[in-house]
Amino acid sequence: MSDILFKVGYGHFLVLAAVLFLIGMGGVLVRRNALIILMSVELMLNAANMTLLTFARMWGDLSAHTFALIVIAVAAAEAAVGLAIVVAVFRGRRNVDVDKLTALRH
Amino acid sequence: MEYANLKFAGLPLLAWIPLLPLLGAFINLTIGRWFSRGTVHTVAIAAVAASCGLSLYLVFGPLWTAFKAGNGGVGIYQQVYTWIEVGGLKVDLAFRLDTLSAVMILIITFVGTLIHIYSTGYMAHDPRFGAFFGYLNLFTGAMLILVLGSNMLVMFIGWEGVGLCSFLLIGFWYEREDYATAGRKAFVVNRIGDFCFLLGMFLLFWAAKTLDFRELSMANSATVGPVLVERFWGGERLAAAAGIFLFIGACGKSAQLPLFVWLPDAMAGPTPVSALIHAATMVTAGVYMVCRLSFLYSASTTALIVVSTVGLLTALAAAFMAFAQTDLKKVLAYSTVSQLGFMFVAAGTGNWTAAIFHVGTHAFFKACLFLGAGSVMHGMEHGGSQTPGDIRTMGGLRKHMPITRATFMVSCLAIAGIFPFSGFFSKDEILAGAFLVHPPGWPIWYGKILWFGLLIAALGTAFYMWRLYFLVFSGEERSEEAKHAHESPPSMWAPLVILATLATIAGFIGMPHLEGIHLPSWSHGLASWLAPSTAPTWYGPEGGGAIMGHGSDGTILGLMAVALAIGVIGIGGAWMLYGKGPSRSVDKLVEGPLAGAYEASKHKLWFDEIYEASIVKPFRTIATGLFEIVDRWLIDTVAVNGTAYVIGIFGRISRWFQNGQVQRYLAGLVVGAALVFFLASRKAEPTFSYEVDGDELVLKADAGAGLLTKTSKLKWDLNGDGKADQDASGAFYTEPEIRVRIGDVGARVILMLEDPVTRENKQVSRTIELPGAY
Amino acid sequence: MKAFILALLVAVGLPAIAFAQGSAAPQPGQPGPRPGTIVVQPGQPLPPNVRRLQPGDTPLAVPAKGGAQAPELLQPAKPEKFPHGDRVESKLDSKGIPASKPLALLFWAFAAATIGGALFVVTRRNLIAAVMGMVGSFLGISAIYMMLYAHFLSVVQMLVYAGAIMVLFVFVVMILNRPEDEPVAPTGRIGGVIGGLAIAYLVGRLVMILIKVRPPTGEAANLAPGPTSLGHDWGSVKAVGTDLFGPGLFPFEAISILLLVGVGGAIAIARPLHEDEPASTSGADNV
Repeated sequence: MSDILFKVGYGHFLVLAAVLFLIGMGGVLVRRNALIILMSVELMLNAANMTLLTFARMWGDLSAHTFALIVIAVAAAEAAVGLAIVVAVFRGRRNVDVDKLTALRH
Repeated sequence: MEYANLKFAGLPLLAWIPLLPLLGAFINLTIGRWFSRGTVHTVAIAAVAASCGLSLYLVFGPLWTAFKAGNGGVGIYQQVYTWIEVGGLKVDLAFRLDTLSAVMILIITFVGTLIHIYSTGYMAHDPRFGAFFGYLNLFTGAMLILVLGSNMLVMFIGWEGVGLCSFLLIGFWYEREDYATAGRKAFVVNRIGDFCFLLGMFLLFWAAKTLDFRELSMANSATVGPVLVERFWGGERLAAAAGIFLFIGACGKSAQLPLFVWLPDAMAGPTPVSALIHAATMVTAGVYMVCRLSFLYSASTTALIVVSTVGLLTALAAAFMAFAQTDLKKVLAYSTVSQLGFMFVAAGTGNWTAAIFHVGTHAFFKACLFLGAGSVMHGMEHGGSQTPGDIRTMGGLRKHMPITRATFMVSCLAIAGIFPFSGFFSKDEILAGAFLVHPPGWPIWYGKILWFGLLIAALGTAFYMWRLYFLVFSGEERSEEAKHAHESPPSMWAPLVILATLATIAGFIGMPHLEGIHLPSWSHGLASWLAPSTAPTWYGPEGGGAIMGHGSDGTILGLMAVALAIGVIGIGGAWMLYGKGPSRSVDKLVEGPLAGAYEASKHKLWFDEIYEASIVKPFRTIATGLFEIVDRWLIDTVAVNGTAYVIGIFGRISRWFQNGQVQRYLAGLVVGAALVFFLASRKAEPTFSYEVDGDELVLKADAGAGLLTKTSKLKWDLNGDGKADQDASGAFYTEPEIRVRIGDVGARVILMLEDPVTRENKQVSRTIELPGAY
Repeated sequence: MKAFILALLVAVGLPAIAFAQGSAAPQPGQPGPRPGTIVVQPGQPLPPNVRRLQPGDTPLAVPAKGGAQAPELLQPAKPEKFPHGDRVESKLDSKGIPASKPLALLFWAFAAATIGGALFVVTRRNLIAAVMGMVGSFLGISAIYMMLYAHFLSVVQMLVYAGAIMVLFVFVVMILNRPEDEPVAPTGRIGGVIGGLAIAYLVGRLVMILIKVRPPTGEAANLAPGPTSLGHDWGSVKAVGTDLFGPGLFPFEAISILLLVGVGGAIAIARPLHEDEPASTSGADNV
């Protein structure tokens, strides 16, 4: 037990990233507010980034840092567009509940 | 292929004989509805006439040559292609024209052509003329296939084809409910026979391993072995079982007891159809089949007795039923059934020549009678009659329809067996054959019984046919319509004249052999012509013998005299009772002493009622039960609705997933990922296998789930001491598959692995059990 | 809200305390070779001015005070020598990292901040609370990055995510300004149970697998990350920049286009549908 507590290794970082990812996924799964879903997606992206950086450290490969940087940029773009969509949807419908956004269903 | 030059457009000429009418049928049935009447008539008649011409050429050209060379039984054999070849079953679509089928195709194409011509007049006002002529052509083609087929399966194509056409044409005016029912009845009754035909065919194939008639007829030769006389059910020969099955098929097609009931109802069809199908050709298919299989029937006395007995009973019963009928065509229908009975007696007494002879003469005079009846009805219809077939409303038509009356009289003379018309010779042949027949194993008195029974039937025939004639043509008109009847157009009476002429003279080719008087050879040409194609002798393991007995000149002439006298007596009786129309004495008899017989005849011995009560009703009950249980419950409720219900459940389940919410899909993804992880971790354990190869042991590491890859690090511990072993050069065993000497291996082998992810060491140990003395 | 503030305090406070305790220690990255020295490939003899990391040194943690405390070496169950040359047997423990209690505490603190913030995001009804939880989570993630020697990325995380993206979120939340009616989607009880079980199983399974992950090349990986081939510090701005504008130039340019398109798209989507309709009033009407 003390090993797990005090001997922090790469596994700890990976597990942290995995738990973060799954929390984000849970948020996407159960929440109905589009904003919260967007935030959960951001959480998942960060978990992926964390995994990337852990492996970069593990294998001593710096190119993963570049990759992570690009992921952050993509996340920023995604957030911008996603939020724009949320605003547009809200303007038209007065709510951002994804259960009620059924125009593209079927 | 000795007849390889007999080809046209790549197909053997023999194949063209049935193909031409089939082509005509194809044209008329597909695009005929846009043709004018003239075009349809031209196509239909041209097809049959060309077929007739081709038949004449083939019979009197190549076949005649072959006959002269003594090959009349082999005839012309032409194969179109191999139809089925499965295991031991090889069926060619092949045709054989021998002397027997030659007679049949001449009758079919010739009478068929005449009836096609007649139909142009008879069906002049029917709107569905295209379909009618298409069906007629189709029938002709199917009948020709039946006759020409060189094996039983090809024959069966035609057999079913003519049944189908019969159904289509009986119910041609399907707007009338009873006509459609008559068509259905014919079809169903025929199916019963066809099923037995199939059984007989299977039996023959099972025993002889072939369906070709020629090869079957060799089935008793030394090379093939005595197949047909093998002991079979009940100690009888195989030929008995097969022959009786096939004969039941013939009973269906040729309207014999007990399957004759469809033929009288079949008169619902247009009259040319009755003439062509239900008198001249199709119903004789059974007789033809029995003669074609003469080698089979001559191998079993039992089968012969069955055939002749059924024929006799049918001849008698049908003649009896014809007495009280009041419908013109019904009388003719019963007379057909009766005459078919005559033919089967001939076939059943091994008198193949007489059977085919009577088929031919009957085709002429019965076709003539039917066409004449059609002409009469045509005339009555024009006179305004609503029931043109009712002979009670006729009478005196001799004044209005002289040509029809003349041909009708000739045909009636022929069917009554009056010298010198054709019916006299053919019927006398049958009677004499029955009188003289005595194959081995045949009761000596049985032929005499057949002869006597047939005499009575012939008496009945003469009586009811002339009753019909007198009622229609003699006396005074009994209705207004009859007074206004008039002669039919030339397209109708011309065939009548031709047929009547043939009915008069056709008998002279089948005159009997007489020792004292030397007749020219053509006078019994038919017998010598048919001889190569039929089996004249009884086949027995103890040696053959002629089926037919031999009569002296006196006997033969005496029999002829008796037959002629019977015909004259029948005509005389009819003239006494009906010469001036229905007389009082008839009414007295019918209401007095013969009332019961009259009722029986009128109701056809209550055959339909018996069938209704004994077969149809129980069958219907069972069918209703099956319908309720199988169809309503099993199929409708369980199968159909059950399927829909199950699918509905799946639909509800999948609707739960596929509801268009991306979140649901993502949830499915998560569950799936969890499942993948779960399943992958289930079989993660690696193992290894071993096998002995000579004095070496082959150890093979098994991957488990991903632990063993090309880069996996593994070692072998061969002696089970927990430490990895080295080979002779001091290196560790690190390959996934190694070969070691058996002596180097302990009872326990351990495989050591390193997990590539967690870098844990794993061990797999197995006990090595060697087979044998190690 | 109190819980949130408490969590934020924990998230920020604990690391701060840990940093204060460990401030005497050398900064991460400093134990590596100085800029300008040559790069040592594993297996090569070391130049005299480079020292190999000793057991007790850690790429993640500074040596414990007194340094002499040798870690307990965990021997494999079968201490066999594998004959493969690519593997150098390390004297480190099975996880490749020797223990360092303060650093371990720091890790747990930042992990708690990350996870706590993330849970805050997915459970709060109040959108502002969720956004604040997100910020806390990002701070924790940033610190974790720092522990992974990713200094530049750590700063970028702080600036871009916590600084820029979250501000954007706050703006949108203020535009919407409507609390959720029903926060959780109605998946039904069976679906909830199945999904929950699946996620729980995945968590457990991943923890079981990942917790055992060890560095692939033993000693080499346990070196404090040395400078790059150009002599920049590992994970520094210069090192990442060199990589970004070298091999990663095309993705960089591509991402710049993506960002441009994203900005353009965001403007196009979010602008009012009709020119005469003032966009700013639409959200405020409903307050």
